[in-house]
Amino acid sequence: MKILTTAKKVVDVELTIHVENGAIVEDGLQYVINAWDENAVEAAVQLKENNGAETTLVSIGGSDNTDMIRKCYAMGIENGIHIDDPALDKADSFVFANVLQKVYEKGEYDLVITGKQAQDTDSGQTGIILAEGLGIPCVSNVIDIEVVDDQHVKVSRLGDAGTEIVEVELPAVVTVSDSINEPRLPAMRGIMMAKKKKIEVMDLAALGTSLDEVGGAALKSEVAEFMASESRQAGQKFEGDAAEITARVVDLLANEAKVL
Amino acid sequence: MNPLFMSLLLIVGLAIFGRTMVQKIQLLMALEPTDRVNHIMDRIKNVVIIALAQKRLVGRKKEWAAGIMHAFIFWGFCILLIRSLNLYGEGFVKGFQLPLFGDGSILGYLYIALKDVMEGIVLLMAVYAIFRRAVLKPTRLHNTWEAYFVLGMIGVLMISDLLLDGARYNLIMLHNNPDHLHFFNNPQYGSEFLWTPVSVGAASLISGFSADANRLILTTMFWLHIITQLTFLNFLPLGKHFHVITALPNVFLKNLGYPHEKTKLLDLEDESVWEDESLGINHIHQLNWKQGLDLYTCTECGRCKEVCPTYTTDKPLNLHDFNDTLKAELFDNADNLIKRAKLAATIKEDGDPEQNEEIKAQMAELNSKKPLIGDVISEDTLWACTTCRACEQVCPVTIEHVPRIMAMRQGQSLMAGVYPQELNVALKGLERNGNPWGIGYDKRAEWADGLDVKTMADDADVDYLLWVGCAGSFDDRSKKVSKSLVKILQKANISFAILGKEEKCTGDFARRVGNEMMYQMMAQENIETLNNYKVKKIIAACPHCLNALKHEYPQMGGNYEVIHHTDFIDQLIKSGKITLTKSLEGALTYHDPCYLGRYNSIYDQPRSILEAISKDGLKELDRHGQESFCCGAGGGRMWMEETIGKRINVERSEEIAGQEVATVAVACPFCLTMIEDGMKELDKDEDIKTQDIAELVANNMA
Ligand code: SF4
Ligand code: SF4
Repeated sequence: MKILTTAKKVVDVELTIHVENGAIVEDGLQYVINAWDENAVEAAVQLKENNGAETTLVSIGGSDNTDMIRKCYAMGIENGIHIDDPALDKADSFVFANVLQKVYEKGEYDLVITGKQAQDTDSGQTGIILAEGLGIPCVSNVIDIEVVDDQHVKVSRLGDAGTEIVEVELPAVVTVSDSINEPRLPAMRGIMMAKKKKIEVMDLAALGTSLDEVGGAALKSEVAEFMASESRQAGQKFEGDAAEITARVVDLLANEAKVL
Repeated sequence: MNPLFMSLLLIVGLAIFGRTMVQKIQLLMALEPTDRVNHIMDRIKNVVIIALAQKRLVGRKKEWAAGIMHAFIFWGFCILLIRSLNLYGEGFVKGFQLPLFGDGSILGYLYIALKDVMEGIVLLMAVYAIFRRAVLKPTRLHNTWEAYFVLGMIGVLMISDLLLDGARYNLIMLHNNPDHLHFFNNPQYGSEFLWTPVSVGAASLISGFSADANRLILTTMFWLHIITQLTFLNFLPLGKHFHVITALPNVFLKNLGYPHEKTKLLDLEDESVWEDESLGINHIHQLNWKQGLDLYTCTECGRCKEVCPTYTTDKPLNLHDFNDTLKAELFDNADNLIKRAKLAATIKEDGDPEQNEEIKAQMAELNSKKPLIGDVISEDTLWACTTCRACEQVCPVTIEHVPRIMAMRQGQSLMAGVYPQELNVALKGLERNGNPWGIGYDKRAEWADGLDVKTMADDADVDYLLWVGCAGSFDDRSKKVSKSLVKILQKANISFAILGKEEKCTGDFARRVGNEMMYQMMAQENIETLNNYKVKKIIAACPHCLNALKHEYPQMGGNYEVIHHTDFIDQLIKSGKITLTKSLEGALTYHDPCYLGRYNSIYDQPRSILEAISKDGLKELDRHGQESFCCGAGGGRMWMEETIGKRINVERSEEIAGQEVATVAVACPFCLTMIEDGMKELDKDEDIKTQDIAELVANNMA
C-alpha cells in the first residue's frame, strides 16, 4: 500500500499574534508543523510499521519547510516531496488541493492521509476538495484506521452522534482528528541520519503544471484583513466570609455586569 | 624458619595474585579513556581524608558504631603491614629485624606496642562485625558466606599472631629458651613484653603447656599466619573484598572540582557516531576505566540503596544489584573486551579506510551480546533515578553512579530512541518555545509586568543578570517566588535585569534524560544571548539552572560567575543591604534541594537566613544537609510519571509533617511543587506552608 501524507507549516499558536493595520506582525513569530498533520504523519508511519505500507510526505511552502520534512523523515516517513514555488504564497485551500492532486497523480497512491484542518486557517477543506477533484471517497475527522485488505480500509470517524465506522474502498482520502494518536518525537538518531536523505524539491513547472492550472492565478478566496481576537479580561477573586462574598457577587452581577 | 618452604609459599602466593591482578588491570585498560591524574595534591588530600581517616564511615553519626568498627579494622591492617614484612623476613632469617624497627630503636618498641594493642582491637571488631551481621542484621547489608569467611580469616590472622607472640613469651620467660626469635631486650627500654600486654595475655592462655607444646604452637601459628595471609590476598580480588586493594586508588582517582564526572560534551555533528551507534553507554565496553574500577571497588555495603529515594519507595533501582550486575557483565565479557581493545589499537586515522571498516566490523563482533538496557538492567531501573547524588555522597569509596546512569540514558535517548514517552510533551515544549510547559516563549516575562523590571534588551548595563528559569517564569506558584526575589533585589538597590523572552530553559532536564541534542541546542542559544550582552554575573533562582550555568555551560564557552539566590540574599543580609525582622511565627524546617546541597555545597547560607527570620529557630529534618532526601523531581523525573511504589514527594512530606512545623522552607521551584503537592496529598497543606526562602525573606524585611 502506498500512502501519501501532507504537512503544512503553520504559525505556533502558543504565541500571541499581534495584528497591525490588518496584517499579522511577523516579527517574533515562529512556525511549526500543523498539529493535525503531525497526527497524519504518525498514522502513516504506524501503517508502515504495522502493515508494511510505503509512506510519502508532501509539503507545500518555502525553503524553511525542509527542516520540517526532515523531522517527518526522523519520525519514519520514507520519501519527501517539497513543492516550493513562490507563486503559491497566497494560495488557498482550493489551490493547495489542486497542487496535491498533481502530486497524487504522479505517484499513484492508495491512501491519502491529511490533518482534518490546519491550525492557522482552520478551514478544514483541503483534504475534502482533493478527494472531490480526484473523484475518490473521503472520510473526515477520523480517529482510527484499520487495513482490511489491499482494496479496503475500515476507519472510525467522530460524528455528531457518536463514532461511525466506515469501510471505504481505496484509493481514498482520510482527514484525521488529533485523537487518532499521540505523535512520536522524531528519533534523535533518525534526525541525524535524515540529514543525508534526499528531498524531492519541485516547483509548479517541475510538477508539470502551472499557476493557472491549479487555480492560483484567479484565487477563489483571499484574506481581506486580519483582526486580533480580544483577550479575555482577568477575573476577580473574592476571599473571606461566604455570606459577604455572595452578597457582593450578586451586587456586581446585578449592577456592574447587568446580567441579573 | 624454613627458607625453602617460605620461598615456595611466597612464589606460589604472589604468582597467582600477580596473574589475577594483571588480568584485572588489562580489563580496565580495555575500557574507554578518562583523565584522572591531574592535581596530585588534591588527590592525596582526598586519600588522607576519605580513605585514611575514613571520613564517610566514622563521620556518619547514624552508624557510628559500624564506622568505628570498620575504621579500626582498616587502621589495624595498615599497621600490621610492617609486622608482616618482619614475619616474611623471619621465614628466611632467624631473628630477622626490619631496619629502623629493630632492637635498640624506640621506634621498634613503639611499633610493637601499637601493633599489639591493634591486634587486640581488630579481633574485638571482627567479633563485633560477626555479631552485627548475624544478630543485629542491619537491613542494608546482605549476608553472604564471603563476608563471614573474610571476617573469619581476619580473626585467624589476629589470633595466630597473638598466639605466636604468646608462645614466644612462654618459651623465653617460662622455659628459659632465649634463643628464640625476634626478641627485643634493650637495657634502656627493657623486654619487649613490657610493651605488649595483649600478647602477654595470650601467653597466659597457653602457659600451662610444656615447652615443646609451646614450640609447636609457635611454629604452627607462624605458618598459619603466613598461609592465611597469602590466601587472604588471593581471595580479595575475587569478590567485594577487592576494595581492600582498590579503595585507595579509587578515592585517589575520584573526580575533582565537581562532585562527579561531568557529562561528556558529545560531538553530535560527527556522522560516524550516529552510524556506529557509539554515543552514550549501551554495551559494557563503553564504560570508562574509572567506571570499571568503581565496579571492582564496590564493597556491597548497601549504604547507597539505603539513602536512595527510589529504593526506599519501592522502585526497582537497587544500586547494589545495579553494580553487581554490571560487574558480572564486565567479567563475563573480559576476554572479548581485551581482544576488542587490541583491535581498536590497530585502527589508524590515516590507514586504509576499507581495512579500518573491516577492523570495526570485527570489533562489533566482540561487543557484549546483550545490550545493557533492557537485557541486563531494566528500563524502569534506569529511568527511576532522580540524579539526587545521595548515593554518591554516602559511598565510603566514592563510587560515581550518576554519570553512568546519565550516559546510559544518552544511549537510550539518542541511539535507541527508547525512553518514557511522557517526556515528549516537555521535550517538544523545549524545542519550540524553550520551556517544558510549551507555553509561548513570548509570554516568558509576563510575570514581571508592572514590577518595573528591566530586560537586558532595554539596558544591558547592569551588575547582575537575574536568571529566572522556566518555573519562575511560567508556573503560577513559582512566579510568586520570582516576584519576591525582585522585591528583595529592589529593596537592596541591586542593579539587575532579566533576559525576558530571550531566556530559554538551560536544558538541564533534557541533559539528565539523555537528550544531549536538545540540551546543546538550549545551551548554545542561551550562551549566544548571554555572551552577546557580555553578561558576567548571574543570580540564578533555581538550583538546576545554577548547576547548568555554573558547571556545564563552560564546556560550551559560557563562563559566568553564577550565584544562587539564597547565597546572594545571605550576602545582602550580612552586608546590611537588607534587614530582616525576626518575625516568622511557628516552627520552621528546611528541605535541602539536591542540586543546591550535594551538587553545589550550599548548606549554610539558607540556614543562616532562616535563623535570622524565625522566632522559634530552625528545626532540622531527620534527613538533612548532605543526607537530605530528594523531593523526587530531579533528573527529569519532574516530567515523568511515577507509577511504581510510593511517591517520593509523599515520603518526604510525611517526614516533614512528622516534625510538626508550621513552615517548610525550600530553595528550588521543583522542590516547591513537589513538597506542596505532597502536603496536599497528606491534607496538611493548611497546617504546613511550603515557601521558598525568597518569599520568607520578602515577607520579613524591615
Ligand atoms: S556503591 Fe558505595 S555505598 Fe553502594 S554498596 Fe558499593 S560501596 Fe557501598
Ligand atoms: S542519584 Fe539518587 S535516585 Fe539516583 S541512584 Fe543515587 S540515590 Fe538513587
